[in-house]
Amino acid sequence: MSLLVSVSATVPLLQAALLQTALPPLTQPTIVAVALLYFVGVAAISIWAARRTKTASDFFKAGQGIGLVALTLAAMSATVSGFAFIGGPGLIYTVGLGGLFLVLPAAITNSMGAWVLAKRMRLLGELRGLITVPDAIAARYQSPVAQGLSAFAILIAVIGYMATNILALGVVINAIFGIGLGWGIWIGMGVTLAYSVSGGILAGIYNDVLQGTLMAVASVLVFLFVLDVGGGMSGISRSVLADDPGLLSPWGAFTPLAALSFFFVFGLGSLGQPHVVHKFYMLKDPRRLKWYPMLMTAALMLTLLLYFGVGIAVKALVARGELAALVTPDAATPTFLLNYTPVLLAALVFSGVAAAIMSTVNSFMNIGAAAVTHDIPIAFGRRVGNELRVGRLATVAIAVASAVLAQFSGSMVAFLGIFGWGLFASTLVPALAIGLNWEGATRAGAIASIATGLVITLAFETMAFFNVYSIPTGVTVSGLSLVLSLVMFFGVSWLTRASAASTLAPDVRLIMEA
Amino acid sequence: MTRQLALASIVAATVVIALCYASAFAPGGAPTWIAWPFMIATSLTLVAAMTLGAVRRGTSLGPLAIPFALTLLILVGGFGLALMQPVPTVESRLWFGLPAGAALVLYGVGLLPVLILPLAYALTFDRYTLSIDDLDRVRRQVAELQAVEGAVRPGVASHGPVAVVPPLGTAAARTAEGV
Repeated sequence: MSLLVSVSATVPLLQAALLQTALPPLTQPTIVAVALLYFVGVAAISIWAARRTKTASDFFKAGQGIGLVALTLAAMSATVSGFAFIGGPGLIYTVGLGGLFLVLPAAITNSMGAWVLAKRMRLLGELRGLITVPDAIAARYQSPVAQGLSAFAILIAVIGYMATNILALGVVINAIFGIGLGWGIWIGMGVTLAYSVSGGILAGIYNDVLQGTLMAVASVLVFLFVLDVGGGMSGISRSVLADDPGLLSPWGAFTPLAALSFFFVFGLGSLGQPHVVHKFYMLKDPRRLKWYPMLMTAALMLTLLLYFGVGIAVKALVARGELAALVTPDAATPTFLLNYTPVLLAALVFSGVAAAIMSTVNSFMNIGAAAVTHDIPIAFGRRVGNELRVGRLATVAIAVASAVLAQFSGSMVAFLGIFGWGLFASTLVPALAIGLNWEGATRAGAIASIATGLVITLAFETMAFFNVYSIPTGVTVSGLSLVLSLVMFFGVSWLTRASAASTLAPDVRLIMEA
Repeated sequence: MTRQLALASIVAATVVIALCYASAFAPGGAPTWIAWPFMIATSLTLVAAMTLGAVRRGTSLGPLAIPFALTLLILVGGFGLALMQPVPTVESRLWFGLPAGAALVLYGVGLLPVLILPLAYALTFDRYTLSIDDLDRVRRQVAELQAVEGAVRPGVASHGPVAVVPPLGTAAARTAEGV
């Protein structure tokens, strides 16, 4: 029932649970060989990208820009972490259809992001020379304070998110190579760090293309096996209904309010995910955005087939007595792959899991480094001399800090990880997504909303972690902080509406109205 | 007018969601019917956000009103019908392999908007989102403004001059792109 407590807690907690549960050993020649091939591919792309990274602009926003397919696959890879392949199917296995509400808004969010943010972010990036998401907030409100505060929130969320992802990567590498969790963490972090530092976001983007393709192909193939093994959706449903019909109710094991709360947070909150929004800066030709929602939605849907299919199929197979009940829900994907698919496909998926985690970590390294190197110094009225060099150093520092946290802080990793999505959503959706579409937003409103998101998320998650206070069933910390930061944004902007016109620079107004 | 309506919808829906959450803090927790206003407010927020992003000042939504209205209908209708479904049993009729409530959520809310929104975005992009003329105009106007003001703005000074991209389709653009 703890799953009902906090939506923001669910994802990283399940990832962090990998620390205790571990995956079944996957050390087989084919799986190891495919994983090694994958790492060689990553290295080759990184060397190519490193040779093209010469300035801070190259490092943080891919210099001269990227094409639509690269943008789409990079955004998709950054969105989908290893959770979609391991934790997600485990969640479906445990709570049934309720687990789908984390990804259900994907049918809408990419189009919504395109209408609300894509064009404006892309034009701001070009015409103002912006390189970070807090840059856009600073440009919108002419406020270094808002830039610094949003960068601080991003940095906190990034380190927590990265720690849980690096931990999950360590678990996957350990399962494949059998080298121990500690080595898994440091090797996984080391490989990701190597390409992030050398090639910056450019290496990240083109590795994302490889990783995103791998994830989508693997997911589709596994889903075909799911249908075959399960006897089609009808066969799967009949087996689950005979065993636990509540899992196939519209809300699964959740209450309707809890499930809908997921939909709210993961729907509207998608507008505040900096690792995705940031990529709009990089598109070479803004008119290529025309096809972005279609490509992105299709790629995401294909990649998420495994998320739903494996979780529900394993439940059906357990109900039929063809599989023993899982010791841990996270074993759903490995168990299905090792028992019902060719070993080559299993190898592809396990490399896909590593790929998903690495692409997410890479994006976080980049935006975290930008916060340290660029945004926070600007908030204090300073500029870093050589942003490329300092950016690389900051990337190393953030990665090492996250890996140390992943290895040595035990359950604290989960505590830090829970802030991620909710903190991004509550601090960025009002000020960035609404603010770039509403001339009436004010500097005070933006700062108040960012501060509210930060304080509410940290306070409630801290109290929940230390068992001081638990919020009621059906309410989520992420949802609560998002809605309160929105209320604060609208309320304070209305109270300070006289300053709205002076908050908005004329060129930014032109871009907003474009 | 459309912009104000979209903004007012977001504000109203936000307040409703806040009240729904607040009700959960009351003794006895949230009443079961609270899922209804929560579901309507959430659906409205998403569609209103799209509307706010899509509509330009002083204009109407044009043909986009249809896909947005359809999406709202799908969300509210899908969730509403799902809320009215009983817990399925082993004898429940299956729709595309799922009990009715699950099918409404997965195929209705989760898939139908995929067939509508990305297509609507692509089909209306040139006229309602960003035409070549729009792009040229904004680039020209912003460059003129920045030249007149000459002010140092966040994000500009740290990387030297803004990279001026020549208008699409011009000879300069083709040269820059190596075409």
